[in-house]
Amino acid sequence: MSKQIKFDSYREMPIRSMTLDNMLWNKTGSWRNVKPVYDNKVSPCILGCPAGENIQHYIQLVIDKKYKEAWETIIESNPMPAVTGRVCSHPCMGKCTRGDYDEAVNINAIERTLGDMGIDNPGWMRESEKTKKQKVAVIGSGPAGLSAAFYLARAGYSVTLYETEKALGGVLRWGIPEYRLPNCVLDGVIESILNSGPISVKTETVVGKEIKLKELEDNFDAIFIGIGLMESRKLGISNEDCEGVESGLEYLKRVNSGDNLDSSKKTVVIGGGNTAMDVARSALRKGSDVTVVYRRTQAEMPAIASEIEEAEKEGVNFRFLAAPKEIVAEGGKLSKVLFQEMELGEPDESGRRRPVPLEGKTFTMEVGRLFTAIGERADLDGFGPEVDTEWDLIKVNGEFGETNKKNIFAGGDIVTGAASVVEAVAAGRKAAEKIIRVFIGEADPPKQEETEFGIENINVDYFTKSNRTLNPRISVEEAKKGFEEILTGFDEQLLQKEVDRCFSCGVCNYCDNCWVYCPDTAIVRKDDRYEIDYDYCKGCLVCVEECPRSALSIEEEGK
Amino acid sequence: MKKVVMGNHAVSYGVRASEVKVISAYPVTPQTHIVELLSELVANGEIDAKFIKVESEHSAMAACVGASAAGSRTFTATSSQGLLLMTEMLHWAVGARLPIVLTNVNRAIGPPWSIWTDQNDSLSMRDVGWIQIYCESNQETQDAIPQAFKIAEEINLPVMLVLDAFFLSHTYEIVDLLETEQVRDFLPPYNPEIKLDTNDPHSFGNLSGPDYYMELRYMIEEAMNDARGVIKRVGKEFGEHFGRYYDMVVPYRCDDADLILVTSGTVASTTRAVIDEMRDEGIKIGALKIRVLRPFPFKEVSDILCSTKKVAVLDRNISFGNHGVFFQEVKSALYGKTDIPIIGYILGLGGRDVTPKVIREVADKAIKDKNPEPYINWIGVKR
Amino acid sequence: MREARIPTEELMGSGHLACQGCGATIAMRFALKALGSKTILVIPACCWAVIDGTFPHSAVDVPIFHTAFETAAVTAAGVKAGLEMRGDFETTVVAWAGDGGTFDIGLQALSGTAERNDDIIYVCYDNEAYMNTGIQRSSSTPVGAWTTTTPVTNYKTRPKKNMIDIMAAHAIPYIATASVAYPEDLIRKFKKAKAIKGTKYIQILAPCPTGWKLSPELTIWAGRKAVTSKVYPMLEITENGNKLTVWKDFEATSFKEYIKPQGRFRHLKENEIEKIGKDVESSWQRLLAREKMLASIPGLEA
Repeated sequence: MSKQIKFDSYREMPIRSMTLDNMLWNKTGSWRNVKPVYDNKVSPCILGCPAGENIQHYIQLVIDKKYKEAWETIIESNPMPAVTGRVCSHPCMGKCTRGDYDEAVNINAIERTLGDMGIDNPGWMRESEKTKKQKVAVIGSGPAGLSAAFYLARAGYSVTLYETEKALGGVLRWGIPEYRLPNCVLDGVIESILNSGPISVKTETVVGKEIKLKELEDNFDAIFIGIGLMESRKLGISNEDCEGVESGLEYLKRVNSGDNLDSSKKTVVIGGGNTAMDVARSALRKGSDVTVVYRRTQAEMPAIASEIEEAEKEGVNFRFLAAPKEIVAEGGKLSKVLFQEMELGEPDESGRRRPVPLEGKTFTMEVGRLFTAIGERADLDGFGPEVDTEWDLIKVNGEFGETNKKNIFAGGDIVTGAASVVEAVAAGRKAAEKIIRVFIGEADPPKQEETEFGIENINVDYFTKSNRTLNPRISVEEAKKGFEEILTGFDEQLLQKEVDRCFSCGVCNYCDNCWVYCPDTAIVRKDDRYEIDYDYCKGCLVCVEECPRSALSIEEEGK
Repeated sequence: MKKVVMGNHAVSYGVRASEVKVISAYPVTPQTHIVELLSELVANGEIDAKFIKVESEHSAMAACVGASAAGSRTFTATSSQGLLLMTEMLHWAVGARLPIVLTNVNRAIGPPWSIWTDQNDSLSMRDVGWIQIYCESNQETQDAIPQAFKIAEEINLPVMLVLDAFFLSHTYEIVDLLETEQVRDFLPPYNPEIKLDTNDPHSFGNLSGPDYYMELRYMIEEAMNDARGVIKRVGKEFGEHFGRYYDMVVPYRCDDADLILVTSGTVASTTRAVIDEMRDEGIKIGALKIRVLRPFPFKEVSDILCSTKKVAVLDRNISFGNHGVFFQEVKSALYGKTDIPIIGYILGLGGRDVTPKVIREVADKAIKDKNPEPYINWIGVKR
Repeated sequence: MREARIPTEELMGSGHLACQGCGATIAMRFALKALGSKTILVIPACCWAVIDGTFPHSAVDVPIFHTAFETAAVTAAGVKAGLEMRGDFETTVVAWAGDGGTFDIGLQALSGTAERNDDIIYVCYDNEAYMNTGIQRSSSTPVGAWTTTTPVTNYKTRPKKNMIDIMAAHAIPYIATASVAYPEDLIRKFKKAKAIKGTKYIQILAPCPTGWKLSPELTIWAGRKAVTSKVYPMLEITENGNKLTVWKDFEATSFKEYIKPQGRFRHLKENEIEKIGKDVESSWQRLLAREKMLASIPGLEA
């Protein structure tokens, strides 16, 4: 810090006007009435992700080719990116600001690529030892149970994982066809989770049968229930139990188990969700002529849009605005189905328009096989009445899965009803974190504040329009032939191409703009941040204006 | 080596001998021969310098200012309108304390266009802060150059050397030409401590508030005062090297003179001839040539003039509304020291010949003239 | 340390006297980053005569010689000559002048220097008026603009002087325009200029929030929109005036958008804006046509 040079006599002065020092004595910060501050926001994608994955951050790490760190960032919130990267409905992409500019960043494909890298690099997973005395029982090894087990074990708690089936994975294993989620990927993910810490597994153990809930309560410090919804809902019409009518979920389970099924019959699938699509496309692959019948229109279908699109491409037929009214059986065997035609009425509580029967309009179809995929329900036999239920689901208080019993927690579809994999993963993690907080006596963290962030917060001058990098795939013709995974995934080049499209909304990614443009040389560029030298910052706010991503905010002086 | 050369070329040879490194100039009659010869000397390698052939005198002085600020010895020559165009940069050279040497060939100012001599061009630069030395002969125009650099570089002020158009510039005389090797002893190469230098970065000429401007000006005045001693010493040292001594003023037969004619430039030599003639007639008359106008040699002038009974100042210039410049200067030098009459005469403007007859007329008139009434005596005006 | 987008060396320090958001200051910071410490600046009367600081202080870590208004080019030429005669052939000498000191009062000395091809970089940081004296029109002031000497009732009706064409007519080895909004480009051009012997002319658009009646945070924005609206084309002229390269790889924006936040154009009526916008387009087309024309003459580059 230089001091202003002052002369008391000409004898001290140089003979000519000549400078002897810099201007740092002149604290131009006093000119300022507003000041820029570095103020990272939460990127919309992160807010859009049910698991709260730090998407912005891991994408930036990928840009820097810090793949391990990027993978670790995901693992902080989701232990199975290889799974969610394939089957997630990616609400994050719906929130991606880039969507209002050209096309949302292909976060899903990026996540998958990192997830696959994690499987290819088992060494990336930090292995945890049992360091805590408490033990936790986790019931169900679907996405919620695996997630809960993982985060508990990671924190040093020993976990016993109970699974009804002989293999782990729940809906991931039985409910999703291999062309979307190959078993080898799922096995890799489960292996990495099981190897990550003190988790023991008890398969083919049904709570309520082989072991009672009470016993678990006696032997464990906490219990997490994540049993999902493994029973199909019934149509509630005549002849539903005749041969040729089957729950879609059962069918998928048999397909995934490798049963050699004969589907070479005219097949109808009832429903419009992801299960319906999975069933239809699986049956198609087994040689069936498949028609999906849905009581509303395509716009109301809950299935992931791309799944519907794929099904159409592969040749699945759709019949909208129709519901089965009557199953006609001949000799105990399905022969025809009578359908009621529908129209859309007033919106229901879900916001979708309610299907209303069109009086007198019906039609009949010859059907060889009928699969029902109108929703799943829980089998709560082992848990009542100790655990409170509501609408056939476990009732929880708040967002951390606390049931009426203080040592029992629940999460996933068993709490929410049919929801997404990522929501189940999130619920498992949140419950695990809550259990840990209960163990150590810590208060819940404050709720994350939602910030508004939109394209208006992006200085689009710094970006050029580009199309989303699509996940490469095998052709529809190839896909239809069997259960080979359709999407083949990014190589590094595609990965880099796509991550480069990320705006890094609201979060400084060290683009240097603020530092570059400062007219007062008042921004100091550090290795991991920038600092504003308020002694000299005149408050012109060029840095705020030129930040491409609103990572700086304005504060009034004196506040 | 003695050679018959014109005054302008004597200047060029003086520059050659002084190891000037940067020359920048623009053609203007009657100075042009100076830069023509310099161009040749630079082209043929006799002078190791860069010659920036600019598009105006203003730029010539700007280039000199830049080159001098960068630490190189710098020279230019001009005349009349050119000098006037340079005015701003002449001030700049002073404020920046740059030891630039400029030879100005005295030429009248237009309109009407005139290429002939008088001193109004250089005298209108009297207050700029340049040292001004008026030359009388071709030998002197040459000898003045290394002396000027020596003075300028010691006190960090620029020096203007002045010679009369045509009477010197275009007139051939025998000149003992200075050789570079001889001069180097007298004038070592210029290597200033303070200069534009990326290894020692300073900025020059920054904005200065009222806090320090006055002190900076005070130091220029101090340098001007110091220059008096330096000019004398350098004139003496030059004499010791080359046998030709120079001083602030040159008195001629002043010792018992009742009347002293004060002159400058080529008029001084003509005047000496008239003095001799009048002395032969028994008239007690003397002459005082003022060689250095800035800094003004107050002491030398008053010491000499206080011993006489009357002073006549011959001005080849006019400060409209207040007599000739040398007259004003002499009067101020004598203020409070003597009551003798000081009378001013304006003559020779725009190159009108100042012959012995004209000077005799002035002398005769001066003998008769009473105390300065009228204030301005114009000699030879067609009335 | 992460790799920085532009050189990290800071030769222009804090504490200087520029207004908030001063474009001329940003231009200097970039230029010095490109040129490095072996640089001497010659600055005539202009904003930078003040920005630098007050005696005996300078915010700039390279030597500066402040000179008279009309002499930047030739004083720089003198400095270069003086340095070379001292044996310093390495230092880059830069004349750093505003548009008044370039387009107007300094044009003669600049022309002389360019004609002699003296080895300097001449920089005109163009803020399109006499800003240091309080926003008076210069011959660089664009048509339509208000200044204190072109009041809104009598705004400037003559177009900005085409200084680039004037410089191109001198057949100097390098001419470029730059904008503070494109630092990498600006730095590249300075580095290129530094490597070329002779007179190099770089004209930098340096938006002036004070004089343009523009909110200071919009300095860079304006520097960018001036380019993308084709008002201030980014170009390079090489091969002694025989090759013109115009930067065209941008998404064009409208003239109206460019002038909208600038108070100096606020008085313009819709039809006047349209007319000026059309003239901007014509000038742009003329420039592109010249680029093509020059490229089509065989052997010209030699």
